[in-house]
Amino acid sequence: MTAEILSASGVTKIVPTSAGELTILDGISLEINAAESVAIIGASGSGKTTLLGILAGLDTPSSGSVLLDGNELTALDEEQRAVLRGELVGFVFQSFQLLGSLTALENVMLPGELRGDSDPRSEASELLRRVGLGDRATHYPRQLSGGEQQRVAIARAFASRPKILFADEPTGNLDKVTGARVIELLFDLNREFAATLILVTHDAPLAERCQRLLELDGGRLVTETRA
Amino acid sequence: MRLLLLLRLLARDWRAGELRLLVTAVVVAVATVTAISLFVDRLQAALLSESSTFLAADRVISSSRIIPDEFRVAAEQRGLETAETLTFPSMVFSAQRNQLVSVKAVSQRYPLRGSLRISDQPFVQGARTDTVPARGDVWLDSRLFPALGLAIGDIVTVGVADLRIAQVLTDEPDRGGSFFDLGPRLLMHIDDVPATEVVQPGSRLLYRLLLRGDDGDLADLRSTLDEELAKGFRWQSIRESSPSIGDALDRAESFLLLGGLLAVLLAGVAVALAADRYARRHYDHVAIFKTLGATPADVQWGYLTVLGIIGIVAVSVGLLVGAGLHLSIVGILRSYLPLELPAPGLKPLVVGSVTGFVCLVAFALPPIMNLRRISPMRVIRRDLEHAGVSRALTYAFAGCGSLLLLVWYTDSWWLTAWTLVGVLGIVVCFGVLATLLLRGGRVVGMQAGNYWRLALAGLQRRHRESVAQILIFGLAIMLLLILLLVRVALVDEWRQQIPDRAPNHFLMNIVPEQLGPLEELLTSRVDYKGELFPMIRGHVVAVNGQSAAQWESEHRHPDAPGPRLSSERNLSWTTQLSENNRLIEGIWWGEEEVEPQISVEQDYASSSHLSLGDVVDFNIGGISVSATVSSLRRVEWDSMEPNFFILFSPGALVDIPATYMTSFYLPADEKRFLNDLLSQFPTVTVIEVDELIRQIQSIISRVTQAVELILALVVASGALVLIASIQASRDQRLAEHALLRALGATRRLITGSLAAEFALLGIFAGIVATIGAEVTAYALQVEVFELPYQLHPWLWALGPTLGLVFILLIGMLGTRKLVNSPPVAVLRELD
Ligand SMILES: Nc1ncnc2c1ncn2[C@@H]1O[C@H](COP(=O)(O)OP(=O)(O)O)[C@@H](O)[C@H]1O
Ligand SMILES: [Mg+2]
Repeated sequence: MTAEILSASGVTKIVPTSAGELTILDGISLEINAAESVAIIGASGSGKTTLLGILAGLDTPSSGSVLLDGNELTALDEEQRAVLRGELVGFVFQSFQLLGSLTALENVMLPGELRGDSDPRSEASELLRRVGLGDRATHYPRQLSGGEQQRVAIARAFASRPKILFADEPTGNLDKVTGARVIELLFDLNREFAATLILVTHDAPLAERCQRLLELDGGRLVTETRA
Repeated sequence: MRLLLLLRLLARDWRAGELRLLVTAVVVAVATVTAISLFVDRLQAALLSESSTFLAADRVISSSRIIPDEFRVAAEQRGLETAETLTFPSMVFSAQRNQLVSVKAVSQRYPLRGSLRISDQPFVQGARTDTVPARGDVWLDSRLFPALGLAIGDIVTVGVADLRIAQVLTDEPDRGGSFFDLGPRLLMHIDDVPATEVVQPGSRLLYRLLLRGDDGDLADLRSTLDEELAKGFRWQSIRESSPSIGDALDRAESFLLLGGLLAVLLAGVAVALAADRYARRHYDHVAIFKTLGATPADVQWGYLTVLGIIGIVAVSVGLLVGAGLHLSIVGILRSYLPLELPAPGLKPLVVGSVTGFVCLVAFALPPIMNLRRISPMRVIRRDLEHAGVSRALTYAFAGCGSLLLLVWYTDSWWLTAWTLVGVLGIVVCFGVLATLLLRGGRVVGMQAGNYWRLALAGLQRRHRESVAQILIFGLAIMLLLILLLVRVALVDEWRQQIPDRAPNHFLMNIVPEQLGPLEELLTSRVDYKGELFPMIRGHVVAVNGQSAAQWESEHRHPDAPGPRLSSERNLSWTTQLSENNRLIEGIWWGEEEVEPQISVEQDYASSSHLSLGDVVDFNIGGISVSATVSSLRRVEWDSMEPNFFILFSPGALVDIPATYMTSFYLPADEKRFLNDLLSQFPTVTVIEVDELIRQIQSIISRVTQAVELILALVVASGALVLIASIQASRDQRLAEHALLRALGATRRLITGSLAAEFALLGIFAGIVATIGAEVTAYALQVEVFELPYQLHPWLWALGPTLGLVFILLIGMLGTRKLVNSPPVAVLRELD
């Protein structure tokens, strides 16, 4: 498949700071095909998270354009981008981002409930079982370990039935062993759902598992490697 | 968003205690207002009905002509109770003597409000009775017994009828006030009147139809009879017939209302603080919802629904709590308020609910609405500061909401504007003061010990919050101090209106020849100030060349309160204004001869549409006099001194024979003096207002208690604001102290610095409050009561101490948990 699901051209992000304007991203252009897995790598502070936010439509670029599944993101308002996110996109974050006041199951049910599904519970239970936490459904995030929390987050991300999954340093807060297990799960599910995966990481072995590597340095795309 | 999800989140927030503050704040606002307004509603109704005893009815139709029977029939058709009285002066005769008395003939149901007191011997207090004299019987005033040389069981002759003296009449509810009802009382049955044959055309008669019942029915009756009433009948309510009581009631009403207002504004602040905290704690939730596809509109409607649910629950609970609170107030005050409180209406509940929702919209809506603007980027960049609601918007909402409530409660733009200006002024001044104190504190704190340095650094770091807290605590404490200061001044001022030895007896119909001997007698026997007022009966016949009737029909609103222009009244002239009169427009004539001028009481002038320069023609005992309105006066009716709607300049009435009127003070146990007076000056009329004064004083003292109570409620809601604002800053304090503990600070150090922080806040707030209270009290004392002012040294000790104790206590209770929990737990809870 070579159908293009995400493309960016000339994406620039400039933010005002007390010390004048700061260019975080400088003319980034890229193309990502459906079902492809892409790793964005680079040193800390190189602009990876910023780029991910813009590609996923969480943030807007200062200039340039982003085409997500045929929709020009810069032409949409926050309302329309939200709808698009709900339909197309799933997220996994470094800091898990579970709602502390909801149980594991309820967290996974969230996307379905926001969509207005008639029975979000059964699909969520199934996903929770799939990530190996079927018996922890009624536990609250603070009763789960970091790895378990990230598995709940992965289940929730796939509950969005995403065409494209964004993950920002999903193992950043986890130890090596746990991280490896979480990554395994992420790739398995990604394959199962035939989703596109965009993974931000500075963990080289993890990046190696992706089909393509984009390296950022000082807000510029410096190298592109195919695995 | 789906309702189920919202409810689930709401339930979780509730269980986690996230909502407690917001709900409590709304509950407090609603409960305070409901309790106050339930209580005020019932108290007012009670005061009004108690005041009605001065009319012996709720409303009275009076006239010098027979009151048509249709009036009574119409009243009874509406379910109103009725009674009739007929009052007239008459000579009565015993075997040896005779005496001019004021006869009151009453029907069986009289009085409809209040009760008669009788006894079997004169000059005692007597006992209540609910009967009236039987046919053939009369009840007599105490002093008629010595005056006529009679005893109970003797026969007295009224007109041509012989009636038996059955009781001593010691009190009647509608005795006071009327200057036309002259002489000692003889009470008889109305059905005996024809037999006396004294009622002849031309006699001075006052017919009254007493009415009692529901306000609506009374109003309905009035509007039905409107046309008929205009033909020489007077419709009286307590406010019109007894201005002094009306004034006392009006004052009470404004004080209570203002009290309620302050409570609501304070609760509003608590709601705002709580809502802001709630919203802040939901920033992350919103960001996550948004990454999962929730649109800003979803977020907005979701949280509005949540707010609506919170509102409905909190308002319902608030109404219940308010009702309970009001019941316990009534319970506590039952022994103080020997008043039968009537059942409350629905209005207080409406007031409570509307207040709750307006509070939510005005104070909680801005931060909640703002949630839609939270950026989803927050999920990947936690440090992303959300700007929060624009301050202008918050203040605009809060301002509009407060304005709405203020106008609604007070029904007065004037009062609203002044309250707002006052509150704003206080906020600005307090803010500046608090900033100065914090700055000064830091300088001093450099040299201070461990705890204090830590505490001051903390306060300084959260500068904005600290100022806000000092401001809020200061306001609450200030209210308490003002309550202490002003309560005393207020009660004194009311008492001063009727000083202890204020004249309580009036003498009228004094002819010039009697002046010398009478003044001699008064000076030697009683407390007599020597103020004599000439008194002439007359009425207005024309204004600016237009007949009085025509003038009134053109200029006077048919429902305008107060006496009519053309009715006969007492006129007087004087060279000097007495103390309880204040000139508000025009100039006062001096001692010298001037063209005939009149000075008119302001309410009378405005209801009759008289203004400076108008030429008014009078008919005074057949002589016509024309005078120009040269000034308007404000009269303090509750001073209980002789006062006149119309005063003439000295030269104007020179040729017209006048009688004189004066007043003196007579203690209750020297009432027998009246006998000596009357036997020496039988033609002089004595009017006793001692009973009326006593009754007004009792009403005033009850009103005072009510005001105190309401202020106490205000202080209570102030305390809640304290709690709310300590709660609001809890997170930040938690985080800081957890960090300190993680860095190795001992629990003692943490507790110590936390305590020092609250103590400082309390002391600063106390200082600010004391200054505020002194300034307010100064303004009241010097500007309003016109008394010299002294600082209150005790206040300067009390204010800061109160702040210290109060805030230290509430603060330490509120943060007890955080000191005792391990730092990790605290950090995690906040994450
Ligand atoms: N809104 C912002 N304002 C100021 N600086 C920002 C903002 N967003 C990101 N940055 C800065 O831009 C740089 C790149 O950030 P980021 O995209 O988080 O890099 P990475 O994820 O590669 O570590 C960092 O130095 C960060 O501090
Ligand atoms: Mg990053």
